[in-house]
Amino acid sequence: MIRSLLIANRGEIAVRIIRACKELGIRTIAVYSEADRKALHVKMADQAICIGPPPSKDSYLNISNIVSAALNSRADAIHPGVGFLSEKAEFARKVQEAGLIWIGPDPDAIDMLGDKIRSKENATKYGVPCTPGIEGAITNIDETVAKVKKMGLPVIIKASAGGGGKGMRIVRKIEELSDNIKIAANEAEKSFGDGTVFIEKYLENAAHVELQMMGDKHGNVIYLGERDCSVQKNHQKLVEEAPSPLVTPEIRKKMGEDAVRLFKGIGYSGAGTIEFLFKDGQYYFMEVNSRIQVEHPVTEMITGVDLIKEMIKVANGDVLSVKQEDIRIDSYAMEIRINATAPGTVKEYLPPSGFKVRVDSFLYNGYTVPPTYDSMVAKVIIGAPTRAEGINKMLAVLDEFHLEGVPINLELQKKIINTQIFRKGGFGTQVLDSIMKEIG
Amino acid sequence: MDTKDILAVIEKFNQTALAEFKYREGSVEFHLKRHADVVYASAPAAAPAAPSVPAAPAAAAPVPTAAPTGETINSPIVGTIYRTPAPDAPPFVEEGKSVKKGDTLCIIEAMKVMNELVAEFDCEILRVLVDNQHFVEYGTPLFEVRRK
Repeated sequence: MIRSLLIANRGEIAVRIIRACKELGIRTIAVYSEADRKALHVKMADQAICIGPPPSKDSYLNISNIVSAALNSRADAIHPGVGFLSEKAEFARKVQEAGLIWIGPDPDAIDMLGDKIRSKENATKYGVPCTPGIEGAITNIDETVAKVKKMGLPVIIKASAGGGGKGMRIVRKIEELSDNIKIAANEAEKSFGDGTVFIEKYLENAAHVELQMMGDKHGNVIYLGERDCSVQKNHQKLVEEAPSPLVTPEIRKKMGEDAVRLFKGIGYSGAGTIEFLFKDGQYYFMEVNSRIQVEHPVTEMITGVDLIKEMIKVANGDVLSVKQEDIRIDSYAMEIRINATAPGTVKEYLPPSGFKVRVDSFLYNGYTVPPTYDSMVAKVIIGAPTRAEGINKMLAVLDEFHLEGVPINLELQKKIINTQIFRKGGFGTQVLDSIMKEIG
Repeated sequence: MDTKDILAVIEKFNQTALAEFKYREGSVEFHLKRHADVVYASAPAAAPAAPSVPAAPAAAAPVPTAAPTGETINSPIVGTIYRTPAPDAPPFVEEGKSVKKGDTLCIIEAMKVMNELVAEFDCEILRVLVDNQHFVEYGTPLFEVRRK
């Protein structure tokens, strides 16, 4: 029985989790680095514990300090949030070994998905379509070059331990392949301590479509519709929307059933996201994020399911409170990420509000955004009956977003969703280049 | 006493420097307490909001009666402090004693690992700021010292 919960995170996601706990009557314990003494999650929690100096590796990534803080504050459970330790099976195991409840999938399930080569093998095993490519890790460069010649260009080299575009290279000329393999492996080694790389056929300008999944410990798994996150800059998502203009109800059902088979197969419980590349009506498995995601409010807005509360309940052993037939995708939702372009102190903050308008943030008047962590300072989410209405609504809502003292990407975001290209919809992940041309 | 009276008392309480105020008369009873006084963390300047559910008092390190004015040795990790090498043994260090660089000051237990905290310089222990077997967070001042 979860009566108290430690949130091993900071920023808006920590605030989001604290809110869910308060609704459930759960005592909350925040952890913070010295740079976050005045952070909102510290103020909101029932108790707050300093776990280290500003660098993440010494605080928010310090497993020992976090588990000690949980034990000493008599927490029953740990919610890892997003980023930081949220996908580390090692952390999940330490949490469980300490006798605490881990809010997330079993560490063995995380292991089956954490490594990209392994997760692709699992996807294939359970019949989820994958991007064509060369099976397994690259061991012999000459053999790989020969195989790529047969398969055809362009290809993408990916790090098995990868994320955020590190160790990722697109190759369009065969003579550049072997050098790029070495560069990618080197980059992967430096970023993740693991230089394992593999090769896939590169799908030019495919869309990024991901499905929200949720499972419990009783073998139930459902899908809660997709999100389209194709508007990206350097692999960082800027705009997320649901449903995707490219996905028909038939494709959604097929994709959802494929994903449910995989998640049931590996015994997945809690929230997770399966990411696909989508092109010409076909979807290709990319990876699974075994945690909640930043853009989860988009799904909450259209389905009405509180994903964070559901995560806590299923970790507690409860049966999923919603069934597949309860999930209806019959409206539209969009999220805009508001990123700080430099650190600063909030002089005046007045977020928008209104019918089906949601702002998740950790800003308050007088708060100083530190330069130490992620640049995202707020997420604005809207719900509307249709995509066209949703775009207009978001533009009106963003006009209301008032922040002085911290420079943000608000004006650019407004321009992006107001372009002809965005309004038309149905684009791939290279859309930002065309959008920027249209903006001029 | 009616609601108006109680509100008036709260207002007066806010104007005073009192930390706590208990009132009882017949069936009426109330207890006012200032947020700052239920600070759980003992690190300087940390002032988390008052718990809506009381924090377990046994786990909390006591707030020192007076804030240390001199140099302090702070906890480098989160854990439970042990001032003695064994339950019935004398403490590693006492107030007024001098220690040499490398001497053990205390043990901080984190995830069942006993971490010895050693002095990084020769010094005199002026004050011990935390009690045995209490929980310390990162940066909690443990000893007030004078360098030698």
